[in-house]
Amino acid sequence: MKKTVEIPLGSQHISLLEPIRFRFHCENEVIRDVDADVGFVHRGVEEACASRFEFKQVGYVVARVCGLCAITHSLGYTLAVEKLLHVSTNERIKYLRMLMVELDRIHSHMLCLAHTSENAGFEALFMQIMNDRELIMDVQEALSGNRVQFDYISIGGVNRDLSVEAAALVLRNLALLEPKIDELFERFTNNWSLSLKYRGIGALSLEQAYMYNTLGPLARAAGLVTDVRLETDDFPYAQVGFEIITERGGDIYARNLVRLRELKQSMQMVRNIVEGLPEGAIQEKTKGKPEGEAIARVEAPRGELMYLVRGNKTSILERVRIKTPTFSGIPAMIEIFKGSNFADAPAILASFDPCMSCTAK
Amino acid sequence: MNKIDVSLENVVETIKAFYDPAAHHFLTLNALRAPEDQIELEWIFTRYGVIEEPTVFTLTCKRDVLIPSVTSFIPSAIMSERETVDMFGVSIEGAKRGLYLDDDSLQMPLGRCRV
Repeated sequence: MKKTVEIPLGSQHISLLEPIRFRFHCENEVIRDVDADVGFVHRGVEEACASRFEFKQVGYVVARVCGLCAITHSLGYTLAVEKLLHVSTNERIKYLRMLMVELDRIHSHMLCLAHTSENAGFEALFMQIMNDRELIMDVQEALSGNRVQFDYISIGGVNRDLSVEAAALVLRNLALLEPKIDELFERFTNNWSLSLKYRGIGALSLEQAYMYNTLGPLARAAGLVTDVRLETDDFPYAQVGFEIITERGGDIYARNLVRLRELKQSMQMVRNIVEGLPEGAIQEKTKGKPEGEAIARVEAPRGELMYLVRGNKTSILERVRIKTPTFSGIPAMIEIFKGSNFADAPAILASFDPCMSCTAK
Repeated sequence: MNKIDVSLENVVETIKAFYDPAAHHFLTLNALRAPEDQIELEWIFTRYGVIEEPTVFTLTCKRDVLIPSVTSFIPSAIMSERETVDMFGVSIEGAKRGLYLDDDSLQMPLGRCRV
């Protein structure tokens, strides 16, 4: 009988951006079982949203669930409340919201690729990607007024219009970023350490992806055709050039490729949005208080983000349920770890692009 | 959304008969406080790759009963089952406490009466 060794990873670890604790049960180098503890940054956001804040304020509260994908959180909540208030927004508002969501996806995918590089020992590449990512952060700051936790989306519209100067900045920075992403694509597909080394590592089969209800780039890398942008009609994604991107390998390499291809697609979509921005007001009139129950889904950078909102015609909502992509992905992550080498655990973990701030909310 | 009422006795069989892993995506298990010390549970599903309203299986029951688990055929449901146990103080078959809350945390924060 082989000796089983228990190895902890986290809650604080050099390969982790946020606190999560894994306990790996290993036989020699091979991981046989994993326990995950995810609740280190639980802040009681759902409780606060349904007790301390009025429904008009909640969109700004949920933007604090996660600094990185604040836009998708406030958008998910806003869409759900707008359904209860029977508010429909004009095309300009939809385009501006899509613009911010896709910018969010670009910088989030770049962050993930930077950490993947760091885990492979490419510290200079990590710094280079983070530096290039500033081009998008600058755009987001110009558009929303903030680098993180953007208070851009409001019930019935958005809080800022796209000025001519801001539109020019978007196009200029995308043009600067484009060759850098092409270079990154080349490195991730042809450099041995970033491509061959990761082939077959941390693989998730299509059957496992279905079984564990996997979502986002993790699912699409395994060939599962799922993307909220395809499965809802809240936004005219087809008009701005969205097509679902999938790979087949299901491993770290495939996940990197999905993110790189989505990066390029999101950049093209942002360009199409800015160039084809319809005319209209940036705020629709809203009235009344939410009554009933509604679900809204948004494709966040890590996958499906869901908000369920129930109102009883008062200012305080009865329930705000937040389901984040990393939270749903944890059973699949645990399954992927099983049978992998312990030495690969940090790289596999980085390829999940986990967000513990979202998960613990 | 398409709501389907289920009972404590038939919830697992009803969801099992409906659920096709290659077609349905289990979104989450949601819970809400209901009057008379009851709890309302919602198992929410969508379909992969198509635009369709979510299907929601709804159960209202007393808070102190043992709620059956769907993890035997939806393994990923364990996360939302454990979250519901922590947040609402209910018991779900096989779902351990402690996903979010420690022993010395304020218990069942969403299950308390706010009045």
